[in-house]
Amino acid sequence: MDNALESTLAELTDIQRRAVDWSAGPLLVLAGPGSGKTRVLTCRIARLLDMSRDQRFRVLALTFTNKAANEMTGRVRKLVPGLEERVDIDTFHGFCAQVLRQHGAHLGIKPDFAIYSETTDRQAVLDDALRRDRTHCAGCEDVRLLPLIDDLKAHLIEPEQAQEHIGHMSEWAAERVGAVEAAYRLYEEELRRANALDFNSLILEAHRLFAYPAMARHYQKVYRYWLIDEFQDTNKAQYNLLRRVAGQSFREIFAVADDDQTIFEWNGANVRRIGNFVRDFSCDVVQLPENFRCPPPIVEAANRLVVYNAVRATSKQPARSVQDHASHSDEGQIRYVEFDTDTDEVAGIADEIVDLDSEARSRTAVLARNRWLLERMHEALAAVGVAAVIAARRDDFVSPQMRWLVACLKQINRPLDRHNMAVLVEAFSGFAPSRIGRDSLASRSETDGVTYLTAWIDVVRQADLSPPATEIVDTIAELSTGNMKLPTAIQQILDCFGRDDPDEDLKDDLNAWRRISREIKTARGSTSLDRFLQELQLRSKEPVPAPGTVTLTTIHGAKGLEFDTVYLIGLAEEVLPSWQSVRNGSGSGALEEERRGCFVAITRTRKHLILSRARHYRGWSKAPSRFLSEMGCLGGQHPGNAVMGKGRS
Amino acid sequence: MRVTRLEIRDFRSIRHLALDLGQTTVFVGPNNAGKTAILDALRIALTRRWGQRGTGFTEYDVHLANDTDDPKTSPGVSIEIVAEESEPEEWPAAISEDLDQIVQLDPSTDIRSIALRTKCAWNDDSGAFEPTWEFLDAKREPLVGRSARRVNLERFWRYLPVFYLGALRDVGDEFSPRSQFWGRLLKALEIPADLESRALRVLDLLNRHLLRADQRLQEIAATLSGTTRIAARDREGSLDLRMVPLKMWDLISKAEIILRNEPDSPWLPLPRQGQGIQSLSVIFLFQAFVEHLVRELYEQDSEPVLALEEPETHLHPQAARTLWDHVHALPGQKIVTTHSPYFVQRVPFRDLRIVRLTANGTEVRSLPASFSAKIPPLDGLETVVRQSAGQLHYENAPEILTVNGTLDENLYRPLLALCGAHEQRTRIEHALRDLRDRSSLHISDEELRTLETFARRMRGEIFFAVRWMIVEGQADYLVVHAVAEALNYNLDQHGVAVIDAKNNGSPDTFAALARALAIPWLAVFDGDNEGRNYVRSLRNRGFTDAELDRRCGTHDAGDLEAQFVADGLGPELREILTALQVRNATTLTDEALSARLRDHKTACAAALAARLRADPGLAQRTPAAFRAAIEQLPGLT
Repeated sequence: MDNALESTLAELTDIQRRAVDWSAGPLLVLAGPGSGKTRVLTCRIARLLDMSRDQRFRVLALTFTNKAANEMTGRVRKLVPGLEERVDIDTFHGFCAQVLRQHGAHLGIKPDFAIYSETTDRQAVLDDALRRDRTHCAGCEDVRLLPLIDDLKAHLIEPEQAQEHIGHMSEWAAERVGAVEAAYRLYEEELRRANALDFNSLILEAHRLFAYPAMARHYQKVYRYWLIDEFQDTNKAQYNLLRRVAGQSFREIFAVADDDQTIFEWNGANVRRIGNFVRDFSCDVVQLPENFRCPPPIVEAANRLVVYNAVRATSKQPARSVQDHASHSDEGQIRYVEFDTDTDEVAGIADEIVDLDSEARSRTAVLARNRWLLERMHEALAAVGVAAVIAARRDDFVSPQMRWLVACLKQINRPLDRHNMAVLVEAFSGFAPSRIGRDSLASRSETDGVTYLTAWIDVVRQADLSPPATEIVDTIAELSTGNMKLPTAIQQILDCFGRDDPDEDLKDDLNAWRRISREIKTARGSTSLDRFLQELQLRSKEPVPAPGTVTLTTIHGAKGLEFDTVYLIGLAEEVLPSWQSVRNGSGSGALEEERRGCFVAITRTRKHLILSRARHYRGWSKAPSRFLSEMGCLGGQHPGNAVMGKGRS
Repeated sequence: MRVTRLEIRDFRSIRHLALDLGQTTVFVGPNNAGKTAILDALRIALTRRWGQRGTGFTEYDVHLANDTDDPKTSPGVSIEIVAEESEPEEWPAAISEDLDQIVQLDPSTDIRSIALRTKCAWNDDSGAFEPTWEFLDAKREPLVGRSARRVNLERFWRYLPVFYLGALRDVGDEFSPRSQFWGRLLKALEIPADLESRALRVLDLLNRHLLRADQRLQEIAATLSGTTRIAARDREGSLDLRMVPLKMWDLISKAEIILRNEPDSPWLPLPRQGQGIQSLSVIFLFQAFVEHLVRELYEQDSEPVLALEEPETHLHPQAARTLWDHVHALPGQKIVTTHSPYFVQRVPFRDLRIVRLTANGTEVRSLPASFSAKIPPLDGLETVVRQSAGQLHYENAPEILTVNGTLDENLYRPLLALCGAHEQRTRIEHALRDLRDRSSLHISDEELRTLETFARRMRGEIFFAVRWMIVEGQADYLVVHAVAEALNYNLDQHGVAVIDAKNNGSPDTFAALARALAIPWLAVFDGDNEGRNYVRSLRNRGFTDAELDRRCGTHDAGDLEAQFVADGLGPELREILTALQVRNATTLTDEALSARLRDHKTACAAALAARLRADPGLAQRTPAAFRAAIEQLPGLT
């Protein structure tokens, strides 16, 4: 078959094909790890588009990461070239931002609002708000206010309804109900004044907009089919938004979930939400129990582990590996190693990894429950000369140079943004020492009738700058007056930054910048500055690891990834499962979430899984993790073909 | 989807215009008033490829207030085009879906709209007038992000293709194989392959027969083949004669229209027909084009916009009169200019736009059914709107308050009361007052219906008039014309329409119409009860006493006939009555004379008018109110 869609559809299993072709209303696809859920989603989108070439309706697909959205967009484009125009694949936040840019006018939101994602920015907004009006919350500039406001917004609680909730939030809050409420209101007003929204606002404001039934009906009509990836990660606000847009009548909703991978309860995800969804939308359920990723012993271990959880989707079928048994050597598909101390553990693992070649290292990951252990691992690998990086989302660039560049671009795009101007000034002083007061800039801008940026350029040029600094300031000046095209200017500045031996942070950032601009170009084509900045804002700024780098990641960070070789370290009681969850008791939700974490971790494995534990962590003696025995890796219940080893002690 | 609103700034003679457009809108006005500018603004702004090099406006298109203005310092031309649903779900689903990224939905009314702003201003860096465009949100702020992608502009065009038919419609051009409608229709023809091959075989055979018909053809061919020898190449060329087209397109492109006007007249090709038929045929060609090709070339739900100049060109008045129905029935939206009173006779009042050039540039007046003002969302506004029984309507995002009909006191007062605490109180109060004043110009549907019934004949001419003189009846009409002539002021020449109001409706309706359309007017009424009632009815329309003093004259002596007698026209009138066979006309008392004159009102007036023409000196004894009015006309505002 010459057609990409046809040939991909032909490769689907019967059950996958059934999900792709589903046309009988709401459907939940329960998809275990490695079951090809992204393939099902993209095939379904492509097929919906392909079957309606003479129609104009759109398809909406919501994901939880930009990475997933990018990947799906790329795959759909390959399957049905030219039709991807009719699908919007976006994160919940990205989708809400689009809706608000287009229709926010009805809530007093301007199309060109900025998105403040960083706590420092948002704290500055709150400080400004409180400075403006102290009467209602005298003496409450405490940093504790912002998390409370976030919490209210994350629960879609409007300022008017805030009072009754604040009392239940914490003792500290209960004593200051009036002040917290006032701070919330002032913070929201200040965001409006700054023409900005924060992440929680995106969901909250969209929820507010869809309170108009006509708006919800409009989206139901335009987006005739909705698909939701990783539904188990939906938090309450997102779910409520979804229900509001769907109204009473919308039926074409297709969600893919794995309740066993719900590990974001701290963020409001809830393993019971899948059940609510099935009930609220009267869903049918299709299961994809076949695991294409992991070897049979790992799938079996995962199955054994997860049945210990009481709260699971009813009648969930156990996963089965469809990897060809013969194609793998059975040797060492699961290995268990034990050490005396945490130091021994990380050193022992590092000793194993150092023997791998560069390509194998790139496909190897070390997973741990917490960051502390990863940092120990990082040190141990460094000690034996293995490159490793702790994967973590970066909301912002880390080098002052790149933070300054982004601030400049933002300022050109939104010349009146005072908050951003402060970032710009601060970042510049981080690599080109100069002292400019933010207030003096504002007054200069007013007296000379020029923009903040122009005023800053004038001031900074009078300072005694280094030649490279002079060069980049000149470039920005050229850009801001329209004398230089954007790509040229950015390239000049990047070249200048990269010229004389940039430090590690800057190197990382330059690397990340290249990756992000490439991603944006792939996903959106060539874009306006405004659009570029919007996309930049939403993307993580971590650099692409160099070849031969071992990935170190928390279990949460590993979600959605896969590696040939996975080391899951720290399998001890009060480490994994965490101390907190152990204290809550074996039947607790927290402990079940830990178990799901372990489940996610081991199912990242394509070939080899190594489980390890030490008898002592931070000097305290710890028992082996209960998950080890639950998986059948301890106490005689050995998986048939796994080889258990003993580490050095 | 159609263009419901067009806002033009700094374009040619236009400083600022905001126009509502209907399914068909007819612009009337003198030459050079700016009618074509309005059509061009829409046409150029919706031109495909807008924003690319070589499109947009030029320095000659920028509105300049005076000679010394520099187009390069002007803010530039700005054209805003709004397409809005007239009711929820009016647009086919495909439009909302395909144009989703630019559609605005008013969630409280469920009405969708799209607003596009195109601009063209001098750019110092590029040294040219640069066209730009942006779609707008409900608050008229530019949409950003994916909504600002050019693909949206291109899609928008596909749903609103604009076609232009200028006043000079040349059949030769419009029916050429390369023309916008005819050429594309011909190119779209689908000839089945087997028919094509058979036709070509027949043609080939025919060609060979024809070539053999006269031997000289062969000889001519032989002579001409010398061409190929002169322009010598290495290999020898050849030359042949073709008597008939041998390719399908050559054949089809020669298709022509023939027609005969009567069953026994000869068939003649279109270019041989009269100018009127030629001009008309182009309009029908457009219809054929839309019916057969627009959906194929654009989208299933595309609605063409036709900018049509002077559809009546070269047509007989009777034909011009019926033309409206045809134009109105044309598919899509029509924006028409006309100079024909006959055409205008059938145009509904609400669809008419009166265009004129003032010191502020081109100005357009119309008779809208509703009036709007920008009012911020005041506390309690919602309640007032809700209690207005549908008379008021408020759009939250653009902050527009609309009143259907007149904003009367019982709505105005509560609205005014809402401003109390607002920081912009003065500005809002002013806006409300202005809204009330403007809406007082409203003419009700019922009244317009009455006018449609009674005033159809005169409607054509009065909308082309520069000033109106309102009188009571036909007798006044005849006498006023004669008096003016005798005073050496030709009413027709100066564009004055004399309206005998009683026969066509009522004087106050015409006065209200004149006020709404900003046409300077005055009136002369009888000094009797009826005349006083007319003045009273004008006062009820909200005209002030000062204005009525200025605009309304009355005959002191009573009615027109009593005034004639009082003015000393007795001897002449007695002669006229005698000629009309009225007995004892010479001996009647003055009262009896007036009474007889009333019996023969129109005939006497006509006879008096004739005498005035013969003896202009008689004018000195005609009613002073008429003379005063006529003298006032030249400077009347």
